Amino acid sequence: MELTHELRENAGLQWVLNRLSPMSPFGKAAARSLRWYGPGDEAALEEELDNVSLAMELWNAGTTAPQADACGCAPVVLTQAQRKDAAAALRGVTRCLPLFHDIRGSFDRDPGAPFDLVELFEIKHFLVTLEQLVQAYAALPPMAGLSFPSLAGALVLMDPEGRRLPTFAIVNSYHNDLAPLRAEKAKLEKAIRMTQEDKRGPLLEKRRVLAVEEDKLELEVRRMLTGKLMAYKEDFLSNMETLGRLDLIVAKAKLALRYHCVRPTLSPDKSITLQGVRHPQVEEDLAQRGEQFTLLDLDLKPGCTVITGANMGGKTVSLRSTVLSLLLCQCGFFVFAQAAALPLFHRVELILADSGPGAGGLSSFGKEVHLLDQLLRETKGQFFFVALDEFARGTNPQEGAALARALVRHLGSLDCVALMTTHYDGVSDVAGAHYQVAGLVRDIQGDEGDDPRKRIARRMDYRLLPAPPGAPCPRDALRVCRLLKLDNSLMELFQADL
Amino acid sequence: MEQLLAPLVGDASPVTVIGLCKNAGKTTAMRRLMAELGEERLALTSVGRDGERTDLVTGTEKPDLYLKAGDLFATARAMLTLCDATLEVVDLTDVMTPLGPVAIFRTLSDGYVQLAGPSAAGQLRPLTARFMELGAQRVLIDGAAGRKSLAGAGVEGVALLCTGASLDRDMDLVVAETAHTCWLFARKAPEHPGLRAALEGAEERFALFEPDGSPLELPVDENGSPKWNKLPRRPLAVWAAGGITDPLLKTLARRGAPTTLVTQDATHVLAGRSALELFLRNGGQLAVRRELTIAAVAANPWSAYGWHFEPDKFISALKQAVDLPVVNVKEDQHGIDP
Repeated sequence: MELTHELRENAGLQWVLNRLSPMSPFGKAAARSLRWYGPGDEAALEEELDNVSLAMELWNAGTTAPQADACGCAPVVLTQAQRKDAAAALRGVTRCLPLFHDIRGSFDRDPGAPFDLVELFEIKHFLVTLEQLVQAYAALPPMAGLSFPSLAGALVLMDPEGRRLPTFAIVNSYHNDLAPLRAEKAKLEKAIRMTQEDKRGPLLEKRRVLAVEEDKLELEVRRMLTGKLMAYKEDFLSNMETLGRLDLIVAKAKLALRYHCVRPTLSPDKSITLQGVRHPQVEEDLAQRGEQFTLLDLDLKPGCTVITGANMGGKTVSLRSTVLSLLLCQCGFFVFAQAAALPLFHRVELILADSGPGAGGLSSFGKEVHLLDQLLRETKGQFFFVALDEFARGTNPQEGAALARALVRHLGSLDCVALMTTHYDGVSDVAGAHYQVAGLVRDIQGDEGDDPRKRIARRMDYRLLPAPPGAPCPRDALRVCRLLKLDNSLMELFQADL
Repeated sequence: MEQLLAPLVGDASPVTVIGLCKNAGKTTAMRRLMAELGEERLALTSVGRDGERTDLVTGTEKPDLYLKAGDLFATARAMLTLCDATLEVVDLTDVMTPLGPVAIFRTLSDGYVQLAGPSAAGQLRPLTARFMELGAQRVLIDGAAGRKSLAGAGVEGVALLCTGASLDRDMDLVVAETAHTCWLFARKAPEHPGLRAALEGAEERFALFEPDGSPLELPVDENGSPKWNKLPRRPLAVWAAGGITDPLLKTLARRGAPTTLVTQDATHVLAGRSALELFLRNGGQLAVRRELTIAAVAANPWSAYGWHFEPDKFISALKQAVDLPVVNVKEDQHGIDP
């Protein structure tokens, strides 16, 4: 499935990815094109998560930070000493990662075009750094599915003297004619140095001829090296891909440690269980305002679950948190929750009613209907998840409510898990399950001078509580408006009309 | 070879060869200096691309740089085909140029090289440091040509200023321009230690100080531009982070009280001579945060455009106008070039 820009932004996945810090160009490339683990990839996903948790354990063991964060879900059990060695080895690996340059472009060439000196230097640099990394990697408990095909032959080619110097030159041993030619040229250069500047002309001309000769020989050597190196092309590319995957695993591990993420488990059936889920982007915003994120619990069975509740009660945040957890899990990340059991979907979608500049001439209603239609067409025969934010709110309430009810019924008949927020009554009647935001439950006096957002937050209980189907939507618009200090005369008219 | 330039630069490193204009003899001075410093392990680079066999602007022949075995140089990858020394690639910098990334090479034989180094001044300092790590004893930089293009070049170490007939047909004007540039490079940090200390942290575009360094609020209009006419009518110091232009100098000259104008370094002064003279006549002083040094002036009486000055007359006129050593780097060649 394609992680579109819109989905990444809306769900907050991009915010998370911006905090991911791969160190090599290959890891950066891997982070840009994340693998999607869909239905059937369960084993591969578990392997990836095993690798991430191993990296977490070792990264943590290498720091002086308290070890309480170790998630205990690592696939191998290590003794204290083994752990220490492996942690040191992981540091060795991560020290090498930033040293790599992206040389994939060099291999994307017509084999007839020889590498130039700088490219050969880059290839040698890659091989020498790779050798160091592979040595460190070998001291780690093996990570599933990650192996580095040997490039020993290429290294011998690039470093015939085995000195592992970080430099490259076309040394004499590459061609029999090089040594005599260079000796002759050096003799001439010495003579040039001894000659007065205005009498150097003929000697310089002789030297020029030899330099051209040398250039020809060097070209021959470069052709030979290019031909032999290009034979290893697949191994080079596969090493770079493995480097990217390894780098990404370490980056995922560091992210999970930093944000105290949890390893998701795959649910045995098609239901989603999230405990203490949070949205890190919203959490950070709140923390900057001195507020705390209310952790959410959600249990979603196949069919459509409906969330109702007061305005500004965090309904959309609960949608985004759920979608983010699913996206992260299916990309092989740990999730922002205390516990998560998730199935693998073919596709995960979030449909927000906003019609931004990219709506292509559609109104907000037009856009969500279009997106929904597209999703339903494209997921025929697939198991999918969709989150809908106040679907059909942009049209008249009577038709809108009918459309929302119809959609809930329809989703109930499809192979999917759906989550929808709504202010319409009667929608939850036909839903599989119903949650309600606890709402403006706290009675607080005497903070009239504060920021309205703070006043609402203080009174709001953001928890999602299971509610019976058909429970009426809360009538909180008036109170929210009052807390937001809407114009008095308008408020009077509003109240009189209710 | 007669030691002409080497004694003038002493132990300074890097030595940046700058030109008042194209064809002022920058490369000739560079070659001369390299020859005189023949015993040292040199490291060379340029600001952008120069040292071409044919000058792309005027089509005149330009001498190549001929390095000795063991020297280091930094150039863009595309220049490799124009180098004929046996080379070892030592490092690849993260400097990107239109001619590819800049790599560092060591010459394993004598030979010609073509320089195309970093074009941003900020990239020269790390490169110079890397050269020293790699064992260079002295760094030579083929610097910019044209006074305006020196802006912000922030020459470290010492500079060698090349001037010559290519700047203008009028010898008096060439001499005056050269003297003006030398005068700018001779600007010192403000004398008052309080003001010097206050300027250390100055980051903003403009800032206002008492002559002793106590900060003053700079009156600004709604766009944030300084209202120079609202400045108190007494001696003040003004810090300007960017280029010093004609309008700024003229405005400050007319404000009715002496101003000490402080700039980052001499290369930030873009204003012409007349505006600067007006500013100075009205009691203004020009100071710099970072002092730069011109070690010597290298003069080239021959222009690339068909005219030339009488060498002796040109040199002696420069010697009179400039309080620095003046040398004719082409003396040895009996004036037969080009």
